Amino acid sequence: MSDARGVSGFNFFEHGLDRQAIEAAYSRWAPVYDLVFSHMLGPGRRAVATIASRADGRILDVGVGTGLELPMFRDKARVVGVDLSEPMLQRASARVAREGLKNIAGLARMDASRLAFCDASFACVVAPYLLTVVPDPEETLDELARVVRPGGEIVLVNHVSSSDWPMSALEEFIGESFSVTLGWRPQFPWSIIGDWIDSRTDMRLTERRVLPPFGLFTLTRIERLARWGEHSRRPYDEHRRPFEHA
Amino acid sequence: MSDKSEKREGEDASASEATKVDPRLLEILVCPLTKSTLEYDSERQELISRSARLAYPIRDGIPIMLPEEARQVD
Repeated sequence: MSDARGVSGFNFFEHGLDRQAIEAAYSRWAPVYDLVFSHMLGPGRRAVATIASRADGRILDVGVGTGLELPMFRDKARVVGVDLSEPMLQRASARVAREGLKNIAGLARMDASRLAFCDASFACVVAPYLLTVVPDPEETLDELARVVRPGGEIVLVNHVSSSDWPMSALEEFIGESFSVTLGWRPQFPWSIIGDWIDSRTDMRLTERRVLPPFGLFTLTRIERLARWGEHSRRPYDEHRRPFEHA
Repeated sequence: MSDKSEKREGEDASASEATKVDPRLLEILVCPLTKSTLEYDSERQELISRSARLAYPIRDGIPIMLPEEARQVD
């Protein structure tokens, strides 16, 4: 494993991904983030916006950043965006004003592991590129689950470490570059998400799909079961057609 | 960027439509610590959690829902 020292000389892994480190990294990146990362992260953003736009009710975008995906939600959507970084949120706010986006019901600064929303407030919670930057992914997933309503869903996009060579080597190389610049953890095994779903009787995996470019990112859809007592827990079938809303 | 100028800007702007906090957002916000309802102080641009005795600031229409950014209230 190569040296994981960031541009600032701060070692995220030695110090852990604490909140200050993440905030500092994103404050530095806010001015150029769109330019550098929009192409790389675009397909994932479009995918979450497309899925969430079908939801009947409020949408929460956790880690909304500069709001790159905000114009991608359908016009009639009601999207609330939260982020830990204030400079990123100010850019998102400017985007909403500049592009006259009517589907944005507000932006707020929050910690993803301690959201300031009532239980079951949202029909859909999207978290593009979030889980690899939070200090405690399981705690964050619990919080996303709390604010999504029964029958609603959580849509994640993040880097998931591959176990197949040569993808694993490429992923490790690119993943490390991202980790250093954005405070991402270099390895994010699927088991972090998979084990969390298994630990929750009210959650079910409905889709797991690798996204372009290079298959670096994985889209995950998790349904919060409407009445989980009545629902038999079906094991996830790799070959099943992607989950579609009725 | 100084804190003072930021605050003054926030106060001046509180009257303008663009920087007002969206009522659709206020509807669903609770205290991140106690998950209890909040009081909206439009004059001071703050969201007050009586149960946590904290006032969360709203800056440029963006509620800052972090306890460490909040002001202690009685």
